[in-house]
Amino acid sequence: MKDKILTFAIIGIIALMGNWIGYDVSAIDALPGMMIIVAVTVLGFLFAKIVPIKLPVVIWISMLALVITTPIFPGNETVIKLTEKVNFMALATPILAYAGLSFGKDLQEFKKLGWRIVVISLVVYTGTFVLSSLVAEIGFRLTGKFH
Amino acid sequence: MQEKSFRSWKIHLFVLILVCFTEFIGIKTFNIGIGAIALFPMLYALIIGAIISLPSLKILKMKEMNVAANILGISFMLFVAKLAMLMGPSLPQIFEAGLSLGLQEVGHFAGTIVLGLPVALLLGMKREAIGATFSIDREPNLAIIAEKYGSDSPEGRGALGVYVCGTLFGALYLSVLASFMAQTGWFHPISLAMGAGVGSGSMMAAMVGALSVIFPDSATDIAVFAGAANLITTILGTYICVFFSLPVTNYLYNKFEPILGRRSKKDQAKNIGA
Repeated sequence: MKDKILTFAIIGIIALMGNWIGYDVSAIDALPGMMIIVAVTVLGFLFAKIVPIKLPVVIWISMLALVITTPIFPGNETVIKLTEKVNFMALATPILAYAGLSFGKDLQEFKKLGWRIVVISLVVYTGTFVLSSLVAEIGFRLTGKFH
Repeated sequence: MQEKSFRSWKIHLFVLILVCFTEFIGIKTFNIGIGAIALFPMLYALIIGAIISLPSLKILKMKEMNVAANILGISFMLFVAKLAMLMGPSLPQIFEAGLSLGLQEVGHFAGTIVLGLPVALLLGMKREAIGATFSIDREPNLAIIAEKYGSDSPEGRGALGVYVCGTLFGALYLSVLASFMAQTGWFHPISLAMGAGVGSGSMMAAMVGALSVIFPDSATDIAVFAGAANLITTILGTYICVFFSLPVTNYLYNKFEPILGRRSKKDQAKNIGA
């Protein structure tokens, strides 16, 4: 757990730098917001560990983050205002940097695969994305939402 | 369970440098005739990171790459927290879109099978096709297949193959696909955002990134709805895979394999034995 907290803090600092360079928000301005994001994430892990109901960590984190930004939570506006300073794109850049740096580890495994499975993977991903977008679009057109 | 290691200053240092450098370059769009292609910091970071990790360059050790993968797994949680914080204030809007959000789950789970299975059969795949096309084959789906068929079964190999390809190229491929789809003008940005909400963390981040570059005015909505779709998939995903996707894929396989499958029965026996 201590390792995780430290890791989140490091990623947070890296994202603050990216947020500063890419979105012109000084790291000091965005620091409180980032601390809230890290705190919610850590709390989510803690909840998943101590609460007897078995739920994935992602769900604990999402629920906590949702609750503190809805009007039922006193101070939700402050939370929103502070975390707004952290651009979500700035938070995604380090994630994909870690993804990139782990690329080499699966190459060996990949070389063993046939070309068919590569084609299928692309088809599977295309089908998933296109069809779910399409169904959502049809839903919106039927209900007249957003159109 | 063994504790995963997150310790590698070298990895963090590389990420810091990558983030600073790529954010400095910023967003660039190139017109390549059939449409503009959006390039943005997280995409550069992904590609440069991948090059750094190439085993032939000997910059990173296998252990360090594993640490990077471990950190990737938990770093997505910060992104989830941020997305959910955007969702809080938009809850009424999310409920309004309830029907589409619910329906797109069907599209998500059916989409992998409907498009994937026939292609897999036409290419001459046998039972590998079931593992490969019943879901997008991320970690939870792999666990389902492993439990039912074993990891070394044809189904398990099919699932693992798609998993590996997804880990390597999924994010990049999907972000390019998302920017093309966005430019067709057929879809509302929010529909695409919901489509982007399915899939793994890095895939979703890359797709949300591509969509927000193309629709900068809807960036927050895109993040909100991708986050909502992702949350629903996380909650329902395992159940849908066990009780719907896998049985349906099996049924369709048995029905269509004799029609679309390419090889004779004898070859099929050999194929499974191999």
